[in-house]
Formats: sequence, C-alpha cells, structure tokens
Amino acid sequence: MKNFIVDNPVSKKPVILKSSSPSPSSGKNLDEDEYQLEETQRATFNILEDFYEEKLRLEDTQRAILNILDDLNQSNEDLKKAHDILETRVTERTADLARSNAELEQFAYIASHDLQEPLRMVSSYVQLLAKRYKGKLDGDADDFIGFAYEGALRMQMLINDLLSYSRVGRHDTRFEEVNLAKALEKAIENLHLTIKEKKAVITFDPLPVVFGDMSQLTQVFQNLIENAIKFKRVDPPTINISARLEGNECICSVKDNGIGIDPEYQGKLFLLFQRLHTRKEYPGTGLGLAICKRIIEQHRGKIWVKSKPGEGSIFYFKIPTKLKESLQ
Amino acid sequence: MNKSDGKVIDILLIEDNPGDIRLAQEALTESKINNKLYIVEDGVEAMEFLRNKGKYTDSPRPDLILLDLNLPRKSGREVLKEIKEDKDLKRIPVVVLTVSNAEEDILKCYDNYANCYITKPLDFNQFIKVTQEIEEFWLTIVKLPPK
Repeated sequence: MKNFIVDNPVSKKPVILKSSSPSPSSGKNLDEDEYQLEETQRATFNILEDFYEEKLRLEDTQRAILNILDDLNQSNEDLKKAHDILETRVTERTADLARSNAELEQFAYIASHDLQEPLRMVSSYVQLLAKRYKGKLDGDADDFIGFAYEGALRMQMLINDLLSYSRVGRHDTRFEEVNLAKALEKAIENLHLTIKEKKAVITFDPLPVVFGDMSQLTQVFQNLIENAIKFKRVDPPTINISARLEGNECICSVKDNGIGIDPEYQGKLFLLFQRLHTRKEYPGTGLGLAICKRIIEQHRGKIWVKSKPGEGSIFYFKIPTKLKESLQ
Repeated sequence: MNKSDGKVIDILLIEDNPGDIRLAQEALTESKINNKLYIVEDGVEAMEFLRNKGKYTDSPRPDLILLDLNLPRKSGREVLKEIKEDKDLKRIPVVVLTVSNAEEDILKCYDNYANCYITKPLDFNQFIKVTQEIEEFWLTIVKLPPK
C-alpha cells in the first residue's frame, strides 16, 4: 500500500478557441450553419466544463482516499508496533514468571529437605527421652514428652507433604502414555494396609490409557482413595473408580459413600493447608487435595467435586488422553 | 553372645553432626557385637585417620567405615573417592549413611565403589534398627577381607 503512487498532473482548464466575432454572413445558409456550429461548440464547451468540474471532484476524492489510505497504513504500522511491543513484554513476563516459579519450587524443595535434618534430631531425641525415661520422671514429664513427640511427627508429615507438593512440576516429571488402570493398581497396592484395616471395598470399571506422569497419577488416586477411606460414614467404606472419554480427554471419577462435604466448603477444598476438621476428628496436613490439584493442573486438566453431606462425594478429574503440545 | 569370635571390631564413623554421632553411639552400645567406635568429624581428619597421619599415628585400620556425605572441609564424596582409589584402603567396606535421597548422590556413590548406600531413617527406632542391621550384616554375615 505504501508504494501506491498516483500520477496527479496539474490539469488545465480547457480553453475553447472561438472566432472573435461572427463574420458577416455571406448567406442565410452559411449563417445557419455557423449558428449550429456555435451551438454545438457551446454545448461541447459546457460538457467539457462539466467534465472538468467532475475531474476536479474526482481528484479531491482521490486525494482524500489517498489520505485515508495513508492514515490506515500509519495505524496499521502503529498497531504492528504495539503488537510487537506487547509480544516482547508477554514473552519477557512469561520468562520472568517461569523463572520465579522455578525458584519458588527450588526454594520449597530445599527448605523442606533441609528442615528435615534438624527435625530428625528433635524427634529422635524426644523418642530417646521417651524410651529411656518414660515413667521414671513424673506424669507431667511424660505428657510433655508426648506432646513434643506428636508435634515433631506432625511436622515430619507436613514437610513430607510439602516436599511432594514442591516435587510436582519439577523437571523430573515424565509425560507418556499411562494405563490409568496400572496407576490405580499401584495406588491400591500402596494403600493396602489402610484398605485392609478399614475393610474398604474398592471397585473399578475399565480405565483408559491417558497421557500423563505415572507416579503423579498414582499419587492422585492414592490421595483420593485415602481421603475416601478416612472420611468414611458407614462400614464398609465403598469406593468406585470409573472413567469416560470425551474427545481427547478422559474424565475419571472416584466415588465414595463417606460423610460428604458441606457445599459451603467445596470451593476451598483444593487450597493449600485447607482443612475442614479438627486434627482430633481427622488427622492430616491439608495438603492431599492441593497436591492432587497441582498434579492435575500439571496435566493441563481440571479437578472438581460433587458431594452431598451424609451421602458421599464424587471427585472428578479430567486429563488429556493424547499429547498436548503445551505439555512438552 | 559375641559373634565376632572375641575380636574387637573397629568402626570408623565419619560424621559431623553431634546428634547423629550420639545416635550411632546409642545404637552401637546396644549392639551384641564387641565393637569400638572411632569418630572423626570432617573429611580431612578422616583421611588422616586412615593414613595414620597427623594426630592419628596410632589409629587402627577400621573394619568398617560409616560415611556421611555432607562434611566440612572435605566432603564425604571426596573421601569415598580417595579411599577407593587408594590401593591400601579400597578393600575397607564403606557404608554411605546420609540424609540425601537424591538419585545423583546415590549413583555417584556407587560409581565411586561405595559398598552400600543408606538413607538415614527419619524415625528414631528405625535409625537404631538400621544402624544395628548394618553392623550385623557387615560384621557377622559378610566375610571381610583379612586385615
């Protein structure tokens, strides 16, 4: 558009050459002819003048259009510049975010890893105290040692969970084709003591192959099933796992007949350290579902819950069955 | 019962954390094996002990080495490498006993011929049990090279 060059010659008003005055007529016929000629000449002249006017108008329009085109061109360039700037900024911002995210993860990992060391000392020596002096001091001393030990144990649980939370999303995540049934099998295997102890009944329908990280998906099943057993309402706790395909995605559900979740709290459920019960009622760190959410989000998926208090809960998660570009 | 035919088994613990040193001592006092525990707290001292240098001219050659990886001055990784590259020392079994769970550490230690790699258990009773099992395995089940 830039090299749209229009030739714009300076137009001259047409000039009609006329004889200064009609020459004395030599005859009537001649007069008439001359008159006709003059008429035609005048008409032509008028037409030419009209054309000239029209030409001027056209030229004006042309100039206006050219101006508009120029403006458009300019706006287009401005837009492109703005777009480029924006794109650069977005790229920079994304890189910044990725960096700070990575740093945060690294920090969480190191913090929880290094915290374990002094904690191991605390809990070890409290245990040694308990072992050697239980019943030899007084009742208070035994209580205090008990509280200190409980505290240390709880902190160990928290640190372990924080470690697994921060591990999700570290570079050792491996996305590949995963047989969801295998992941579930592994989770059930890991939980076999709890399942046996609580006499939980676990059933499952055929599960598809998805695209994800085997150990992370195992962890999701493990956390969801563990919760389903922990928050049981009747004996035996019954849990069913099933899945359906929707395009290139799999929606998997873990359904229990547990105590259910008050709708008021369902939104908060997946937040870090969110607990709905006292530690006495149900022990836990409040990280289990946060870990699930983080894992599913790593898979560019979604996790949600449907639940009725007193009836049970169904946890759903949706993950891709095929490689998504954004995952690699 | 003394399972080591009355001989005193010399163990060298290379560890800088006083808490862990004491825990190892606690575990080993309960042991059935007649052992003597020597302790050095950094890598440089460890090498001096093993080579009878500096203040360790009289130190015995240990039957077993328990090695922590995070040590001041010279790290446990370096100590392991030096031991296993030294023809006079390389036959002494080295048990790496560390908090690290990192795959990289585990691989590197075995690459440098660690005899085994153990992550310190977080639980006290487990720690005691593991320490005693190390002793039991290495000092009564395993046939060690003659001194």
